[in-house]
Amino acid sequence: MVKFALPAGSNPVKGKLHKNETGATNIRNFHIYRYDPDTGGSPQIDTFEVDLDICGPMVLDALIMIKDKMDSTLTFRRSCREGVCGSCSFNVDGTNTLACTKPIAEIKGDVKIYPLPHLPVIKDLVCDLSHPYAQYSAIEPWLKADTPPPERERLQSEEDRAKLDGLWECILCFCCQTSCMSYWWSGDRFYGSAVLLQADRWVQDSRDEAKGERLTELNDSYKLFRCHTIMNCTASCPKGLNPAKAIGHLKNQVARRE
Amino acid sequence: MSMRSPLGQARGSGSTDHGVQHWLAERFGAIALVPLGLWFVYSMLGLIGADYNAYQEWQSQPGNLILTILFLLALFHHAHMGLTVVLEDYVQPEWLKNTSVLVLKYTAFFLCTACILSALRVTFTA
Repeated sequence: MVKFALPAGSNPVKGKLHKNETGATNIRNFHIYRYDPDTGGSPQIDTFEVDLDICGPMVLDALIMIKDKMDSTLTFRRSCREGVCGSCSFNVDGTNTLACTKPIAEIKGDVKIYPLPHLPVIKDLVCDLSHPYAQYSAIEPWLKADTPPPERERLQSEEDRAKLDGLWECILCFCCQTSCMSYWWSGDRFYGSAVLLQADRWVQDSRDEAKGERLTELNDSYKLFRCHTIMNCTASCPKGLNPAKAIGHLKNQVARRE
Repeated sequence: MSMRSPLGQARGSGSTDHGVQHWLAERFGAIALVPLGLWFVYSMLGLIGADYNAYQEWQSQPGNLILTILFLLALFHHAHMGLTVVLEDYVQPEWLKNTSVLVLKYTAFFLCTACILSALRVTFTA
C-alpha cells in the first residue's frame, strides 16, 4: 500500500543542541533537519539557539549565521538571497517556501526547517532535484516553430504577451511541486505543478507552433490528469503564482480537442 | 537500482493520449447526478412509511422506471471512475493496483446490473 511511514532508518531523531553562550537575550530556537551521507544512520533534528539581535530578518539570514558562527558543516543551497534564483526552497514552519523571503518574525515559536518533502536527501537541506529537472526537460521548454525565423524577432501582440504573465515569473524552486500529495504518491509519472505551469507557458505562447504536439504529450491519466485540484501548489508558491490555474487551463485545452 | 538517465525515466513509456476522456466522463457523470440524485432523494422521502404496494406502484410509472435506471447507471459509473482513481493513487504494488481496479470494475458492473434488474422485476411482476 501507500507508504505513509518513512522507510526504516529515515525517521528523524533528536540531534545536537547548539547552545548560545554569548549571553544573548533575544534567543530563538531553530530546529534543523540534518543528514550526513558519510556517517549514514537516521537523520537528526539539531537545535540552534540563534541570537536574533545580531541576525538579519529572514530565515535565510539565520541559516547563513548558523553556518558562519555555530556549525560550518550545515549544508544548504542559496544564491541570490532575494527570491529570484529559487535555490533556498525548504519546508519552513510546515510550509514549502523560500528562506530568503520568509521573515523570521512571521513564525510563532520555534522555527523548524526541513528539506522539501518527498525528494531524496543528498545532505542536510539539500535534496536531489534530478527527477523534477528531467521532467522539466521532458516538456521541451523552448519555442518550437516550423515557420522560418523572420529577419528580426518573431512578433507577438501585447494581448498575447499578457497571457504569459503569471507564468514566466516561475523560478523553478519546486516549492509547489513538492507540496502536492499527488506528486508524492505518483511523482514518477505525474509531471507536477511547476513543470505543468511551464508546459502551459509554452502552450499559451502565440509564437509557438507545436501546441497540438504538446497537448498530445500531456493528455495522459498520469502526466497531467493526476492533478486532483488539491491546490497546495497555489497555496505554497512564494512568488504568488497560480499553478492550479495553469493546470486547469491545460486540462481545458486538451478537453476542447475532443 | 536503475542506470537509466533521469530524462529517460521522466519520459517513461510516453503519453497514452486518452487521459482526458476519463476526466470528462467523471465530470459529465457528476453533472447528471445532481438532478438525478435530487429527484431520487425527493422520491424516496415521499415513500417514507409507504408499504410495498405503494412502492411498486411508484416504481411501475414509466417515468420513474427510466429515471431510476439512469440514476443507477450514472451512480455506479461515477463511483467506479472515482474509486479507480483512488486505487491508482494509493495502491503502490503494480499487481495489487491492477487486481483491485479489476475487482472494483466487476463489482460495480455486478451491483449495477443487480439493481437495474431489481427495479425491472418490481415493475413487471405487478
